[in-house]
Amino acid sequence: MKFLATMLLALPAFGADGLDPAKLLKPPTDTWPTYNGDYSGRRYSTLSQINQSNVGELTVAWVAQLRTVAIKSMPLIVNGIMYLTTPDNVFALDARSGRTIWHYVRESQGDHIGQRGVGMYKDWLYFETPDCHLISLNAKDGTVRWNIELADPKQGYFATMAPLVIKDHVLVGVSGDVTDVPGFIDSIDPESGKMQWRWYTTPKPGEPGSETWPKGTDAISHGGGMAWITGTYDPESNLTYWGIGNPQPVLNGDGRKGDNLYSCSIVALDPDTGKLKWYFQPSPHDTHDWDAVQTPVLFDDVQNGVRRKLLAQGSRNGYFVVLDRTTGEHILTKPFIATNWSEGIDAHGQPRPKKEKEPKPDGALVSPGSDGATNWMAPSYDPNTGLFFLSARRLWSVFYMTAEGKAEGWAGRDRNLWAQSVLEGIDTKTGGIRWTHEIGEGENVSGMLTTAGKLLFAQDNSENLMALDPATGKTLWHVSVGGRMETSPLTFELDGRQYLLTAIQNVIFAWALPRKN
Amino acid sequence: MLAPVVFAQQQPPGPPAPVWDIPAVERGRTQFKSSCGFCHANDATGNRAPDLIRSALLSHDVNGDMIAPVIKNGRPDKEMPAFPTLSDAAIADIVVFLHKQAYDALHSAGVPNDYPLAKLLTGNAADGKAYFNGAGGCSGCHSPTGDLAGVAKRYGPVGLQQRFLYPGFGARVTATVTLRDGQKMEGRVVHHDEFEIAIIGPDGWFRSWQVNDVKAIDVHDPMTAHRALMEKYTDKDIHNLFAYLVTLQ
Repeated sequence: MKFLATMLLALPAFGADGLDPAKLLKPPTDTWPTYNGDYSGRRYSTLSQINQSNVGELTVAWVAQLRTVAIKSMPLIVNGIMYLTTPDNVFALDARSGRTIWHYVRESQGDHIGQRGVGMYKDWLYFETPDCHLISLNAKDGTVRWNIELADPKQGYFATMAPLVIKDHVLVGVSGDVTDVPGFIDSIDPESGKMQWRWYTTPKPGEPGSETWPKGTDAISHGGGMAWITGTYDPESNLTYWGIGNPQPVLNGDGRKGDNLYSCSIVALDPDTGKLKWYFQPSPHDTHDWDAVQTPVLFDDVQNGVRRKLLAQGSRNGYFVVLDRTTGEHILTKPFIATNWSEGIDAHGQPRPKKEKEPKPDGALVSPGSDGATNWMAPSYDPNTGLFFLSARRLWSVFYMTAEGKAEGWAGRDRNLWAQSVLEGIDTKTGGIRWTHEIGEGENVSGMLTTAGKLLFAQDNSENLMALDPATGKTLWHVSVGGRMETSPLTFELDGRQYLLTAIQNVIFAWALPRKN
Repeated sequence: MLAPVVFAQQQPPGPPAPVWDIPAVERGRTQFKSSCGFCHANDATGNRAPDLIRSALLSHDVNGDMIAPVIKNGRPDKEMPAFPTLSDAAIADIVVFLHKQAYDALHSAGVPNDYPLAKLLTGNAADGKAYFNGAGGCSGCHSPTGDLAGVAKRYGPVGLQQRFLYPGFGARVTATVTLRDGQKMEGRVVHHDEFEIAIIGPDGWFRSWQVNDVKAIDVHDPMTAHRALMEKYTDKDIHNLFAYLVTLQ
């Protein structure tokens, strides 16, 4: 008996295999523990085993073919186990081989457009479903601990996003824009599943921000504003940053005159209370479905001789914005691609919409289309070059306002004509475009990753996985992978070997340098 | 928020559209207008009383199981009167009408192919013809009595507008590939990216090269002029051109 007790004491690793939320503050290189890899949203890894000098030697370490739809999720890597999702499905795989450890399935009603991954806290995973449930699973075996409904799917809500774990809060948002339902961000207790706070993305009548909606109508309570991409977090100021989606009805703003806060805005919230600290709205009074949900990326820099804590977003409407992330003070707004919808940038740094480019019954030619000048595809920031990398597109579309009478739901739609996609390196000090790399006609849907190996990983529109030089945008390596990467690449180190992980449709490729032994 | 990746697939996937009993919908519309329209608006989008299209009650209702009792009994706490004299059949019609209204709102994220010509026909055909022959440069490639003869008969109105703005990916892009030895190969482009060019030649054979392995690639893309026009068009130009093309019956 004494012998057994000694044995147990000698195995401290057991019981410590979950994810301590404190570890998220300084993510070690052997994990990818949250949607963006770390809280900053930079998708920059300090790993450099794979670098410019040897990227041409990259080889396939293993391949996992999942019998599922295209993977749009960011896998998490924790303690050599990978967790990834598709709608209704969570998979745990061995990160050394790609073999399945367990597979959780729960069929559901609701929009199955995509699933972007799980959040993790200690031994538990958090998974959103098409019918708008949040499910906590045991990371060891995929069994359900609890299952709560975040919003009523019958009213048009569904859920796709990867939860963000901050301390003992699981932050979640939901989706839904075919009905005019209000958006919100919830903080859920990771142990009990109880709601800690809810922040509605549109104010109640009389609250600050309500003056940007018409008075005496139901517009403000049906104003939409979904938070459907995972936010970021600055532990030092204890603020979490989220992009908020489009107002409702989507293409017709006649019934919601005003700027429609906090739709199409970047917001800073206290994760402990859900209180709004500041906001900035890149798309006031949107009528083109240009969510501002794109990742608010956090980095520090010296601007005009002063060290500043910054936040940058490449917004779906075609504008790159940089803010002071402590105060929300606007620093710069610059177009990252040509557009034709704005009459210019106002004193607050907001591009103001042209009335004549709102959707019209006889059609209005607008660039970009509703799919945006960029979209959910993850950007990346490289501290070595100070560049912000964005997947962008020149997209032309005709917007039709089809509804008559009071607009509800979409109330119209645009029809795409043509698009040309590019990858860009944007100078965060000036907003100027340092380099542009054309990647083909159509719309790119892949995110990006940069590493200390001076590599930028991305995909073009011809199914080529590529490594570029972040400083110049020049191609250093490519391979035709026969499918689209509908998520973002990630990297981690395991057994002393750096892996690059890319999900190509339903197939996961793990790339690494050839083994020397 | 929807973001279709493939251009052709504009409608979100989902269950097949329900088959509506249109006479019942129309009876329900009339009945709703006379009994409910004063407070809820004739199209049920709300007036003095709430918007029913956006109501949780309607979204949870199955064949009137939730709505019918409310119509019959009213909501005294919210000052809604009861309608005890409405027949079950009349209430059933109202329920079908409400579900049709909500379905239409939920599925308004699309431009129907039968979108009416009258809505699009806001331009001036004579100005459109002048643009076609002048500033637009269209007559450089197209002729109203040649390739465009009867073009308005070949497409629905919204299809015609889309089609003249950008005829799309079906366009016949060709290329001349000059090999290192100077030999020139011509054909229809089936793939062209940063790394590879592939064509199908006049003999029907597929041939591909690494871009780095050839001397030159000259691409002939007939869509170039259409893309350049997008940078120049005003919406008025577009509507005038459309009005002109509609006359090419």
